[in-house]
Amino acid sequence: MLRLTRILGNATEPEFAERLHALEHDGRVETITLDAADTARKRLRVATDKGTDCAVAIARSDRLANGAVLLLEDDRAVVVRMRETVWLALGPRDLAAALDLGYFCGNLHWRVRFEGEVLKVALDGPRETYTARLAQHLADGRARIIEEQDA
Amino acid sequence: MAVETAQDLAGATAAASAARVGIGGPVGSGKTALIEGLLPLFAARGTSLAIVTNDLVTQEDAERLQRSGLISPERVVGVEAGACPHTVIREDPTLNIEAADLLEDQLRPLDLILIESGGDNLASTFSLDLVDYWLFVIDVSGGGDIPRKRGPGIVRADLLIVNKSDLAPHVGVDLALMQREAEEVRNGRPVLLTNCRTGEGLDRVADHLAHDVLMEG
Repeated sequence: MLRLTRILGNATEPEFAERLHALEHDGRVETITLDAADTARKRLRVATDKGTDCAVAIARSDRLANGAVLLLEDDRAVVVRMRETVWLALGPRDLAAALDLGYFCGNLHWRVRFEGEVLKVALDGPRETYTARLAQHLADGRARIIEEQDA
Repeated sequence: MAVETAQDLAGATAAASAARVGIGGPVGSGKTALIEGLLPLFAARGTSLAIVTNDLVTQEDAERLQRSGLISPERVVGVEAGACPHTVIREDPTLNIEAADLLEDQLRPLDLILIESGGDNLASTFSLDLVDYWLFVIDVSGGGDIPRKRGPGIVRADLLIVNKSDLAPHVGVDLALMQREAEEVRNGRPVLLTNCRTGEGLDRVADHLAHDVLMEG
């Protein structure tokens, strides 16, 4: 078990980027991939892409982020990679449907963001879980799913 | 640039705070009984532990634990939510964060703080700003179909506990089916059966916490 207790910096910072680049050439950079929501955790037990068992335990004041460097040694580094959030884009039929849809999503405590007339729901689980809840809205036309190619 | 090695960091875990573990679930499912069952197990493991309880408008659960003889009373703090229980573990967990910080300041070094939610519904979840890991406790007498209802508490919890397993035959629940359906909706996240009155299954709960947040083994 590899204990990782501090965020040393971010892979995008020049002084880290140079060393990580060199280590990457030798396949010595290991990544911990996390969902966006899980970056709020201060403690987690997780394996790197190379299978190293890691015990991450950072201070409450720190926050994991995409590119967080948790280990940087001469022969090995461990970096956090955050999975990109997948959004389900919904187009309401009209103003009344928009109000209804906003209320509905809020009532389910879904994470949303607004882009013009489109309401986007962050998928924190399988897409089917969300579309099942929206079945009535989709069936009666109050909302439609806007696929990326339609946007 | 100073580069720290794993050796430099060995033992530095103490700089991090105690693990914070949430325990949620419906009213009467056995959340406080679970804590009462876990306390002797963690005491035997040498884990320094404190508890934050949440009740609507009383300190009932805190007082129950303080009277239990299982833990020093000063290691238990009660938070009166004064509103829907999930508001203080998810939407605005400030009261609980402050309670946990207080315990940590007063009782340092602590290994583990258990934060028990007030009894709530299946939509109850914890903010990860408050806890590192959370359990959701349901019980068989609430109905064998509860896992199929896919409440966020059941689907998203790090560990799902199905308590009062001994009551299954008395309330017409197929326990094996209930467990299987719970595992199906949780995409491989663990599900454990317990009987908090007898202690059955609690060793495995303690093992999960020891591995996943206390970083043992």
